[in-house]
Amino acid sequence: MKGDITIGAGTIVHPKATIFAATGPIVIGSNCIIEEGAIILNRRKEVLRIGDENLFEIGCRVECPMGNCNTICTRARIHYTTRLSSYCVIGAGCLVVATEEEILDEYTVIYGPEGERRIWSGRGRLQEADLRRKHAEYLREMLPKFNRLRRGEGA
Amino acid sequence: MSPSVEYYCPCQASTPHPPQPNLASSSYSFHALHNLYFCEECDAIRCNHCVMVEVSGYYCPNCLFEVPSASVRAEKNRCARNCFMCPSCKNTLSVVPSDPPDNGDGRIPPTINAAGEPPFFLYCNHCRWDSAEVGITFEKPTGLAAQLQKFEDSAPESLEFERLKEHFEPYLPAASSALARDIPGVARYTPHALSRSRSGRDKNANRQEVPDYRARVEIGAVTTGYALGGGADPDVEFMRHLETVEEVSTLEQRWGNSWVTSPRSLDLKPLRIPLHSKKSKRCPSCRHILIKPEQKAQSVRYKIKLVAANYLPAITINLPHMQAALAMLRRSGRANAEPQDGTMLAGKTYPFHLSFTNPLYDPIQVRLHVQRALPPPHPNAPPEAEKTRRPPFAIMLPTQAFPIAAFAEAWEYDDDEDMFGVEEEDEDFDGARDPRGRSRTVGVLERRANVTVIGGEVMISKESRGDIKFNMLVSYTYRSDDPEPEEPGTPSRLQAQPKQPEMKTFSFYTVVDLGTIIVRDTSSVDMDS
Repeated sequence: MKGDITIGAGTIVHPKATIFAATGPIVIGSNCIIEEGAIILNRRKEVLRIGDENLFEIGCRVECPMGNCNTICTRARIHYTTRLSSYCVIGAGCLVVATEEEILDEYTVIYGPEGERRIWSGRGRLQEADLRRKHAEYLREMLPKFNRLRRGEGA
Repeated sequence: MSPSVEYYCPCQASTPHPPQPNLASSSYSFHALHNLYFCEECDAIRCNHCVMVEVSGYYCPNCLFEVPSASVRAEKNRCARNCFMCPSCKNTLSVVPSDPPDNGDGRIPPTINAAGEPPFFLYCNHCRWDSAEVGITFEKPTGLAAQLQKFEDSAPESLEFERLKEHFEPYLPAASSALARDIPGVARYTPHALSRSRSGRDKNANRQEVPDYRARVEIGAVTTGYALGGGADPDVEFMRHLETVEEVSTLEQRWGNSWVTSPRSLDLKPLRIPLHSKKSKRCPSCRHILIKPEQKAQSVRYKIKLVAANYLPAITINLPHMQAALAMLRRSGRANAEPQDGTMLAGKTYPFHLSFTNPLYDPIQVRLHVQRALPPPHPNAPPEAEKTRRPPFAIMLPTQAFPIAAFAEAWEYDDDEDMFGVEEEDEDFDGARDPRGRSRTVGVLERRANVTVIGGEVMISKESRGDIKFNMLVSYTYRSDDPEPEEPGTPSRLQAQPKQPEMKTFSFYTVVDLGTIIVRDTSSVDMDS
């Protein structure tokens, strides 16, 4: 963790995650889950704003701002030219590099080896939100048990 | 392409000698070692082309349920439990309940019923396709396959097919017995054919009198319910109004369907997962089983597994000059530079290493013999040019037999020196100890555990082109456990020494592919770039 970072209430950051505000600040909303090995990087001057209830899975790399309830799957990578709105899903291992500034529509799903796109109907959204809430609760309980924190660091 | 060694299966040839490896048709006779089987009874290599394949059981790849063969047909070769395939990405679908009614303010209701609320629908976790998009929902989360199959069976094509089957039912035994009579071997697969052949012959007389079948549905009729997919005008009309390519479903997405479906990707339906089968394989000549998997779908073991890798020495090949080039590329930091695999210039000599690994529990003696290769005749070359044709390259290999120690389990090596040697030497052996090894490039280079490394040399003549591929006869002598009498008919089996009856020799052909020759003038351009 390095640079000017603001993290909202209820957001869980795994000890091995990297958040690096290289040139501009990073603002993360509430109830996000940032898993092990995830990298959030700001390469720009302006604030990289990440909304609420996003899930960053293991080993993903994000350099773009986004809205709420997005899922970035394992080892996916998003370049700084893209912006996510809300309820987007970037599938496992997908690489999103927009050649020009692009804002993904709500409910966009990118999946598969060729990065196919489709629009999700949004059905099952509430259940997913519920699942994510339980996920966060579980992590909140379990993470301190298995990762000893050094006292006085004020994490 | 990296250099490779492939093994020859003589099943497709009349002679025991393999075809010239530079012929295009020869690739059907050569196989990688892991694709080959070995019949102990006939003492011969068998490949996937010549073994007889039998289905030993059906199972669903998703739920691993073993389906009895009687119900395979009734369920149309697809899983009848709750396994479905996403039509857009081929992932497995899961049954999910609907969201509870949104109370408007966008907040999540505090409790979500664990049992879920109807209607249920199928949902893909990967691409987020759901069956509610195509209007398939269910009241209960169970027995979905039956509901879907009903849907499939009511397709007009399916009904038509059923009627066709019914129509031809009486003629089927006649036709199959005729087939069994005319084509030898078919009778083996249809056990009832012989018993019915009597009645079949009687019916042969009036075989021509099959009444005309009248189709219920005309081809391409718009009334079939599917306005699209028949290849008729509606399809053309749809294609004309396309805006993005994604509107058309890909061939891959429609391939698994049983019947003609609409080309619109919006209309794709979930499919029940097709069943897989476990197959057992038999030797074509002695009918002994070579491969027999365990019946259980969960198990990946075999009851009988006679693979060639357990009988023949495994041969791997590497080119020291190529490895050195790769290492140099890596050192100079040009990792992104395209590594020129097997760049071999015409008119030069290159060493190569063949390492033999012995899978047997007894030491073996191996002897190599290279079949002379001729360049492919030019189609428009005059006949006198044929005489002046020379092999494009010469292979030098040690001619005397060399030993390979027996295979031993890992714990039988008493000092760990052996073990460490195996891993490390692969990397530094080629470059460090044998950098310019002019003196000892041909011959046994190294022996350790059950691996022996043999050096060879290839001399490429100036005007040669194409791939360096040559046939190599490998014969090895081993101590046989059962001194059974020889069958004189098998050409590949020879008695090694008459005074030592327990020693046996087995020979097999391999093709060694060293890579492509690069002609000198183009190669200089390659080096510059």
